[in-house]
Amino acid sequence: MELFFYLLATLTLLGALGAVLLKNLVHCALSLILFFAGIAGFYILLQAEFIAAVQILIYVGAVATLVLFAIMLTQNVIGETTLKGLGQNRWWALGISLVVITVLVRAIQHQTLPSFLPEGRVTTNEIGHTLVTTYVLPFEVISILLTGAMIGAIVVAMETKKNKQQATGDRRRT
Amino acid sequence: MERLDQLFVLLKKIILQFAESFLPAPLLPFLSILVSITAIAIFAPLTMMYLTWLERKVIGRMQNRFGPNRVGIYGLLQPIADGIKMLTKEDVIPLGADRVTHFLAPVAVVVPSLLLFSVLPFGRNMTAVNLDIGLLFFIAVSSIGTLAIFMGGWASRNKFSLLGAMRAFAQMISYEVPLVLSVVTVVMIVGSLSTEKIVEAQSGWGGLRWFVFTPWGFVGFMLFFICSVSEVNRTPFDIPEGESEIVAGFHTEYSGMKFALFYMAEFLGAFAYSAMAATLFLGGWQGPLLPSWLWFGLKTFCLVFTMIWLRGTFPRFRVDQLMSYAWKFLFPMGLSNILAAGIWYHTPFPLSFIFATWILLLSFIGLSRLNPTGTRLERRTYRFAE
Repeated sequence: MELFFYLLATLTLLGALGAVLLKNLVHCALSLILFFAGIAGFYILLQAEFIAAVQILIYVGAVATLVLFAIMLTQNVIGETTLKGLGQNRWWALGISLVVITVLVRAIQHQTLPSFLPEGRVTTNEIGHTLVTTYVLPFEVISILLTGAMIGAIVVAMETKKNKQQATGDRRRT
Repeated sequence: MERLDQLFVLLKKIILQFAESFLPAPLLPFLSILVSITAIAIFAPLTMMYLTWLERKVIGRMQNRFGPNRVGIYGLLQPIADGIKMLTKEDVIPLGADRVTHFLAPVAVVVPSLLLFSVLPFGRNMTAVNLDIGLLFFIAVSSIGTLAIFMGGWASRNKFSLLGAMRAFAQMISYEVPLVLSVVTVVMIVGSLSTEKIVEAQSGWGGLRWFVFTPWGFVGFMLFFICSVSEVNRTPFDIPEGESEIVAGFHTEYSGMKFALFYMAEFLGAFAYSAMAATLFLGGWQGPLLPSWLWFGLKTFCLVFTMIWLRGTFPRFRVDQLMSYAWKFLFPMGLSNILAAGIWYHTPFPLSFIFATWILLLSFIGLSRLNPTGTRLERRTYRFAE
């Protein structure tokens, strides 16, 4: 168990470091995926298979895909200059990451974490039940937030299409 | 009969008992895992090899040809000859390619498709890993394949590869949505994500109480099957590798065994998705008379055959048709199917059947009306042909 933990930890840390330090943007994204997969491995070690599978599905399957898609839609995907212009934000990035780290460290310090696995496994069934009983309010709020974000994205996308049509004088509606 | 049904389970037991005589006890669980893994590792490439043979043979017959018939009787040794040819081919890596990513992509595409096999219930007591979340595992793992395809397409530094990768991305994201929605109905009715429990829930009526005979099951099955054909990039959904448009899409720059690995992932995916469709909607290994693993094999084979049949019959979708089909037809159909399944679960039998059928029929007719069928393209004008 210990051995698996250290293997996974090394892999995850390498992924995280790669995501920050590599020069090529796509390589960064790919090592970020490695990091996500490592986190899923930790969940499996903690016997939370459901969360592990969801981690893979959401982060590796969807979020990473989104990141890569965004990279592909930017210019110069194939070239070496994908990181051009990111260097000037370095000091801002440093400041923001320091703030985030401070908040996280504070939060962890104030929390007493259990050092043992809880009795009995939490089944998918129980997760589902608590999601629609105890945690129904946050669940609904997040749903509304996501729906709002989705509608917003559609509105943004539609407007650009309209602009483009006006710009090119192409009146065909498809 | 019972012995025939449990043939492979008994075989594994015999191996384990034999190993007990000379192996220390703590190693036995590992051996048990190893036996299952070995079985899958042998079974999967063998399936892939003979699926290529089957595909070439069936497509050949549909096109009024013989298909491979030179190597061995009925060309049965053709896959082996192909394998040797692939292995001896030169491994070309383009000069500008990103070497590490280019090398990793074929590996990353095969591993998830092999992992898919671990949760399939091949017969009674024949699931390699009986996970509580088997179905979720299947969907999660199958979504990794997209990334591998992207890696291959991007690392090749080739316009056509990149175009193919982008197409694969757009397509797989779109079709994953109705795929998951169609699966949700089964999870709702069974109340479990375990593949074994899903198969057990379909027992009864002499082994013929399959979900496909219910209204929501039928629609769910159709949705799942269509989406799975799309998820494994097979015709008519093969725009990521449309050879008439973008050479070979994401695997343009791959040769030899690496190309074969992409090919293998496609066939393994086709088999695994067919097997999953059989598990979810066609009762898995349930069935009268024949042994369970034979039933499972037969159902899966029928679905794989249908996939090949589709390839021999339909032309390729256009990109816009592909997208609007997923988002404007399959997606709303999946949502109304969830509603139908909910009503089915909460109302007594004859009423539930009527309600669910009506909802699905109405939404099917409505959606077909709302979606324009004919293509409204302008008349083409040719410069030299007229």
